Amino acid sequence: MKLLLHRTGLFSLASGILLLFCLPAAASDKSIMDRISGADEPFDDSGIKSAYDLALKTVRAQIPYQGGTFKVLTRKDSIDRFRCSVCHTDKIPQARDSTLFTHGDIKINHGREGDGLACADCHHEKERDFLVGKKGESVDFDHSYLLCGKCHFRQLNDWVGGAHGKRVKYWAGERVVNNCATCHNPHSPRFTKRMPATYSLPLDE
Amino acid sequence: MVRRKDKEAQVKKNNVSDARTSRRSFLKGVSIAAAAGSAALVTGCIPGKDALSSEGFSLKWEEYFKKHYRLMTQEEKDQTIARLVKLAKIRHDLDIQMSSRPARENVLYGYAFNISRCEGYMDCVKACVRENNLDRKSKTQYIRIFEMEPGQLDPSTGDGKYFHEVPVDNKFYMGVQCFQCENPPCVKACPTKATWQEPDGIVVVDYDWCIGCRYCMAACPYWGRRFNWGEPEIPREEINTRQHYLGNRIRPRGKVEKCTFCVQRTREGRLPACAEACPTGARVFGNLLDPYSEIRYVLKHKKVFRMKEELGTDPKFWYFID
Repeated sequence: MKLLLHRTGLFSLASGILLLFCLPAAASDKSIMDRISGADEPFDDSGIKSAYDLALKTVRAQIPYQGGTFKVLTRKDSIDRFRCSVCHTDKIPQARDSTLFTHGDIKINHGREGDGLACADCHHEKERDFLVGKKGESVDFDHSYLLCGKCHFRQLNDWVGGAHGKRVKYWAGERVVNNCATCHNPHSPRFTKRMPATYSLPLDE
Repeated sequence: MVRRKDKEAQVKKNNVSDARTSRRSFLKGVSIAAAAGSAALVTGCIPGKDALSSEGFSLKWEEYFKKHYRLMTQEEKDQTIARLVKLAKIRHDLDIQMSSRPARENVLYGYAFNISRCEGYMDCVKACVRENNLDRKSKTQYIRIFEMEPGQLDPSTGDGKYFHEVPVDNKFYMGVQCFQCENPPCVKACPTKATWQEPDGIVVVDYDWCIGCRYCMAACPYWGRRFNWGEPEIPREEINTRQHYLGNRIRPRGKVEKCTFCVQRTREGRLPACAEACPTGARVFGNLLDPYSEIRYVLKHKKVFRMKEELGTDPKFWYFID
C-alpha cells in the first residue's frame, strides 16, 4: 500500500514537472505576435461601404504603396490664390498693388537656422504654377511630397508606408492620406507651441 | 391665505392621527413605502429627478429583466436597443441611433503611438470626451497624456496633469489609454462576466450587467478603466447621438467604462476619434490581420515596444519611435 502511494506520488510529481514545461510553450503559442505575423491574407474591406464615399478632393499618388496605390488630398484646392500664373505674368506689377502681390504675410522658417530656404528653392521661377526640384524639373503642387521627399526622404518612406502622417477618416476602404502640406505649413513646417486643448485632473482623485 | 392655514391645520390634524396608528395600518404604510422604494430602485435610485412617464417606467422595468448581451439573440438585441432609443427620447428628448454591429471577420484592431511625434496638444483627449459621451462634471477621460523626461519610459514618472504651452523643449509626450490586451486581466477579475473580449480584440463592458464592484479597475495594470460615480452630465447639444450598445451609449450611474477604440466608429470602418483628431499624426490605427495596413508597417519597420510587456497581458497598443 505504502509503495503504491509512493508510486502515485512520484507519478504526479513527474506529470507536474511535465506540465510546468509545457505551460509556457502553450502560452507563447497563443501570443498575439504569432497570430499577427501569421496573417498574410489581404483584408477584404469591400463590405465596409461607407469607407468608399469620402467627399474629398483627392489625387492618386505617384508612388506605389505596398504593391498597390493610394490617394492623397489635393493641395491646389486649398491654396487661396491658385493659379499663381494669374498674377505672375510678364506684366510688370504696379507699385500700388505691391502689398497684395508680394506675399508679405509669408515668413520662411524652413531649413537650418542661418541657412534657410529661399522662395526659388521650391517654387519654379518660369512655370509659376509648379514647384521645382533640384534638377530643374517641375513638380505639381498636388504631388508636393515628391519635392519634400528630396530632403526628407526618411519621412517620405514612412509616409508612404504609414508610419508618418495619417489616413483621412477611415482605416478601411481605399487608402486616402493627408498630403505633407495638409499638416505642415510648407513655409514654416515645424508645429508651433500652443496651449493644450484640455487638461486632466490629478490621478488620485 | 386662509386656505393655506386651513391646509396646515388639516396636516397637523392628520399627523396627530398618524401618531395613533394601529399596527395594521402601520404595516400597510410600510408596504406602500417599500413598493415606492423599489420603484425608485428601478428608475435608478433618483426619485423625482427625472420624472418618467408611465411608458418610460414600463420600458425601464423591461430593461431591468433583459439578458446578458452575449446571451441575447439578434431579435432581443434589437428590442433592447429600441427600448433604449425610446428612453433617450423620453428622458432627454433626443433622437439617438444605436448600433449593435458585431465584430467584422478577419479584423483585429491594433494601435501604435509615435512618442517622437506627439506634441502634447491633447486634441485627442478632447475629441474622445465628445465622442464617447464622457461625464463632464467629474472630467472623466479615457486618455491621459504624460509629459515625460527624456530617457524615461514609465508614465508614472511623468506629469499627467500639465497645463502650459506645449511642446516643452527636451520633454516628450506619451499617451496612455486602454490597451485592449489580448490576455486581459480585467476580464478575469469580473465576477458577473460583464466585461469580455470581442472577436475583433476590443474589450467591452455590458453596462447593464456591471455591478460596479471595480475589481476590474484593481486588476488593470494600466489604469485603463473609469468609474461613473454619478449619472454622466453632458450638455444636451454635445451628446453624441451615434451610439453603440457596447460603446459610447450614455452609461448609467455606478458602472465601469473604458476606451473601446470607439467601437461605434471602428466597426463602420472609421478611425477612432483620437486618431482622427490628432494634429501631428502620432496615432496609427488599423487592422493587425491585414498585411497591407499601416499598423503592420509600423510593427515591421519601426522600433516598437509595449508597456509592461513582462506582465504577459499582450496589449495591442505599441509605442514607436521614428
